[in-house]
Amino acid sequence: MPGVVEETAQIDQVRQWLVEKKPEVAGQEIDLDLDLIENRVIDSLIFVDLLFFLEEITGRDLQEAASSANAFRTLRTIQTEILEGG
Amino acid sequence: MSVAQDRPKTISDTLTRIIDMSVDTYYNPYKMFEWPETLPDEQWWMTQELMSTYGTRYHEELTEQQLQALSKWESVHFYSLNVHGIRELLIEVVKRVHMPGFEVESEFFHHFIGEENEHMWFFAKFCLNYGKKIYPDRKMSFQIEENEADIESFLVFSRILIFEELVDYVNLRMGRDESLHKIIRQVNSIHHQDESRHIAFGRELVKQLWDRLTPKYSAETLKHIEDYLKRYMTASVQSLYNPAIYKDAGLPDPYKMRTDLLADPARRPYNNKILKRSIDFYTKKGIIHDGDFL
Repeated sequence: MPGVVEETAQIDQVRQWLVEKKPEVAGQEIDLDLDLIENRVIDSLIFVDLLFFLEEITGRDLQEAASSANAFRTLRTIQTEILEGG
Repeated sequence: MSVAQDRPKTISDTLTRIIDMSVDTYYNPYKMFEWPETLPDEQWWMTQELMSTYGTRYHEELTEQQLQALSKWESVHFYSLNVHGIRELLIEVVKRVHMPGFEVESEFFHHFIGEENEHMWFFAKFCLNYGKKIYPDRKMSFQIEENEADIESFLVFSRILIFEELVDYVNLRMGRDESLHKIIRQVNSIHHQDESRHIAFGRELVKQLWDRLTPKYSAETLKHIEDYLKRYMTASVQSLYNPAIYKDAGLPDPYKMRTDLLADPARRPYNNKILKRSIDFYTKKGIIHDGDFL
């Protein structure tokens, strides 16, 4: 449910990582519900790098959690389905 | 004039030559290899100069035993990348084997599909025999909007060509490295033998597909294609650096190790060497304009 999830330090780390990897999105507000796929912040060429970054900050193998593209659609879904999952 | 008749003669000549070679040099992969029951851990499984640590402080600081353990998992990981890469390219070529516009290539595609399936088999067998696993494919496809069909075909055959040239750089060197076990040399050299034909074909096809795009699309669209290819090449080289291999080799901080290695300027010349042939090809053809991007 939008609004319930509070931003964590980890999700801010993810936001910073995306800005660093995709300089063209710097200056844009990447809010919790921005569609990262439709807005091309995340695409197939950046995905593996992102996955390794998320595994590093969570300390977990995300093979199973990362089986659906929808889990990466917004910062909110990354938070609820990846960072808080498992 | 049909699409088939409209194709320049060079590709027909190339195809006739490489189809003849495919038939003349055909081998039965299921009988060709003598698979040892086991391979000793205490040996080099990969040419040291091809390891992702080579030239860095990690390579200097690890013991020979640690480096040999790492070489095992780098080797198994490299064949795992081959398994996944071949599966993906097969899907795309199978889609086009009798697609209008590829009448000239159809006969070659049948040989290509057969040979690539065999390559996928022996790479998978090596991984399962000696690593007891195939490293999982971590890629994800995000479909937003589809490209025009001619752009998509150009990108598909470009991805195939870049993948094959990257792999071939490694195969050629591993196939000749006398310090490696016979079965390791053999899977690499046999693959190189077949891939040289596939690469010759891939270059002709990519050139022709590109020549059809340039008069049709805007400079902006062509720039998007260039940017995509550069990013694809970068991601392809980076796929050789996987924290799972550092972890399997028993090394600490595998994610940090990957980040350090990717950021290490000492790795740049090695990364460039791996893709030099592709970068030179795309630069010479004018598809990319700046070869210094890795």
